[in-house]
Amino acid sequence: MPISRRALAAAAIAVVLPLSACGSGGDDSGSTDASGKIQGNITFQTWNLRANFKPYFDGLVKDFEKKYPGTHVKWIDQPGEGYADKISADAAGGTLPDVVNVSPDLVAPLAKAGLALDLDKAAPKYKKEYLPGAWASHQIPGTDGTYAFPWYLNTGPLFYNKGLFKKAGLDASKPPKTYDALFDDALRLAKKSKGKVATLANVPTIEDFGRYGAPLMNKEGTGFAFNDAKGVELLTKYKELYDAKALDPQALTATPESTGKKFLTGAVAMNPGSALDLSKFKKDAPSLYKNIGITDQITSTGKVNMYVMGVMVNSRTKQKPAAVAFAHYVTDAQHQMEFAKKVAIFPSTAGSLDDPYFTKQDGSDETRVRIAAADSLKSAVNYTPVLFSEQMKTELRNSVAKALQGKESPKTALDNAVKACDRLLQQQG
Amino acid sequence: MTSPLPTVRTAAETSANTEVTRPAKTSGERPASRVRRHLPTSPWLFAAPGLLVVAVFILYPFVSTVVNSFTDRRTLIPGEFVGLANFRELLHDDMFWTGLRNSVLYMVGVVPALVLLPLLLALLVQKNIPGITFFRSAFYTPVVASIVVVGLIWVWMLDERGLVNSLLEAVGIGRVGFLSDQWLLLLSAMAVTVWKGLGYYMIIYLAALANVPRELHEAASVDGAGAVRRFFTVTVPAVRSTMVLVAALSSVAAFKVFSEVYLMAGPNGGPAGEDTTLVMLVQRTGTGLTGRVGYASAISVVVFVVTVALMLLVLRADRKEDA
Repeated sequence: MPISRRALAAAAIAVVLPLSACGSGGDDSGSTDASGKIQGNITFQTWNLRANFKPYFDGLVKDFEKKYPGTHVKWIDQPGEGYADKISADAAGGTLPDVVNVSPDLVAPLAKAGLALDLDKAAPKYKKEYLPGAWASHQIPGTDGTYAFPWYLNTGPLFYNKGLFKKAGLDASKPPKTYDALFDDALRLAKKSKGKVATLANVPTIEDFGRYGAPLMNKEGTGFAFNDAKGVELLTKYKELYDAKALDPQALTATPESTGKKFLTGAVAMNPGSALDLSKFKKDAPSLYKNIGITDQITSTGKVNMYVMGVMVNSRTKQKPAAVAFAHYVTDAQHQMEFAKKVAIFPSTAGSLDDPYFTKQDGSDETRVRIAAADSLKSAVNYTPVLFSEQMKTELRNSVAKALQGKESPKTALDNAVKACDRLLQQQG
Repeated sequence: MTSPLPTVRTAAETSANTEVTRPAKTSGERPASRVRRHLPTSPWLFAAPGLLVVAVFILYPFVSTVVNSFTDRRTLIPGEFVGLANFRELLHDDMFWTGLRNSVLYMVGVVPALVLLPLLLALLVQKNIPGITFFRSAFYTPVVASIVVVGLIWVWMLDERGLVNSLLEAVGIGRVGFLSDQWLLLLSAMAVTVWKGLGYYMIIYLAALANVPRELHEAASVDGAGAVRRFFTVTVPAVRSTMVLVAALSSVAAFKVFSEVYLMAGPNGGPAGEDTTLVMLVQRTGTGLTGRVGYASAISVVVFVVTVALMLLVLRADRKEDA
């Protein structure tokens, strides 16, 4: 019996039509009621932690299951690269795990799409356990709630190569502390090395504009403002560095990994990092390690940049009480402190930074870095606006590159970047 | 002269011959009749699994992309129908034109090299001399190597302090910004594409060259034609169809280039995004939690239209040559 074309078309539609129901659904964010018995199976997704901290998380999960019989936690760890894409695929496909490790910029679109549970409504009793600034870090302009438990905080010192400083006739015991001092030293280093040694390998990011003192957004949080006089001044200074090769020529296409390598090989004199890097220097670049200098982040505002990590609860989880309880369990003072002692991060819970672990010197470099970082965190600021998306970062990087290459003036480049970011902000809704 | 091909019987012939070859009728229906009765539907049943895969993984995404291109859909928000707004926005998007320029330049730079160089390589390794298998394998190695590994190796070699620059400095030329200059970066990525594709197309040409009658070369030699003349008068006409195929395949692949440029120019697409290609722009615009799926779909539709047009152009040129 021959199959007619009409029948074939009908069959094709029958196959395709149900699929059109896939993708993101409506904005049914579910209730915020997290009361009830803590039980059931939940999934917990982290970001690049399994390789180094498997025993810690296995123990954490085991202890939680023991404390709350009837619960089962499945821990999933995703690679850092493409993590946002993985979350977006899960969110769009309706397979977002119950508890998810996120940063504020990842929470923002999830909260706006109704996928992040509002903890101000679902778990307000826990708010007092955390540093006020850390709790506020997951509040999204344009919404009313708080959408993730604050987890660990991080900041990092600036490493510098004492040997290269000495070669340029600079005092290696007095590294630059302000942007003006940094620019002076960088130009001198480039001149002495005839352009072979750059001081920096990264173009300025939104955090640099913040640390230099440029306002990043307007007071209402409805538009960007880093194209003010301070922002233009910073970019003009970077252009001078780029022309003098004090900023690495490949900075326009650099990634954090590539700049790290350049610092290891002595092609670059300064690089931001964390206490974790010290062991890497010791292992991969022993000669650099002998010459390593550690200083504070460069800032003109007196406040260093801080990164905040959070733990979000999927608003559509079927096990809301268990998911909220686990997210809190992971981020409570006891477990944050335990985690901080395994890795160079800092707890976001109230009073934890007063622990002797973060205040008492023992003479080692690691402790010195840790204590200095913990101290700076008390006044640190998360300069990355939560609404600053990947697309906006690209717009800023492209505009900065145009200014450094001389294709646009710093003012025009920043005006264009702000215009593009504002347009993207409006499109986000 | 008898045909070397097996004779194909027409339905009428088969029907006529059945009178002679038909076995004696036995009780019940004959197996041949059963097969014939199911013939019209059974091909569709055999094809059904494949069709299902095509429908789910090719047809649906394609239709979905076209539909999305007329919406303002974002990663987490379904969006609404906006008509041709995305396409109108493309016309005023500098980055789209940069991407289109780079994709076209990539094609123009890569395709001639990928049509000619593998042919020359195939001619070199065609001869059966001791150790030739080693060279054939060596030339094919980049094809099977992961593009990520290949990209990283070339990035290390072309880095400001890499092998190539060290050699250039040693001979007094000085360091060249292969990975920092907009145009050199694009050229470097093209070189990697050609290097990686040589072996693949060489194999295609080897198969085509094996079918070129040796008598033609011998006749040309008797007529006094040298190696170069034989190449242009015998080899090239004999493999012309293969050259068209290679041109079509490599031009579509070059227009859709992503990995090489992404790995060498970085996720930003080179300094100020000047090396961004159209497919990179699709990835950058449409992915992530704040991805503009509708707009990225519109760019994808443009890429699709251009690649189809390219294929048609190449096939049309081939047909004209045949005529």
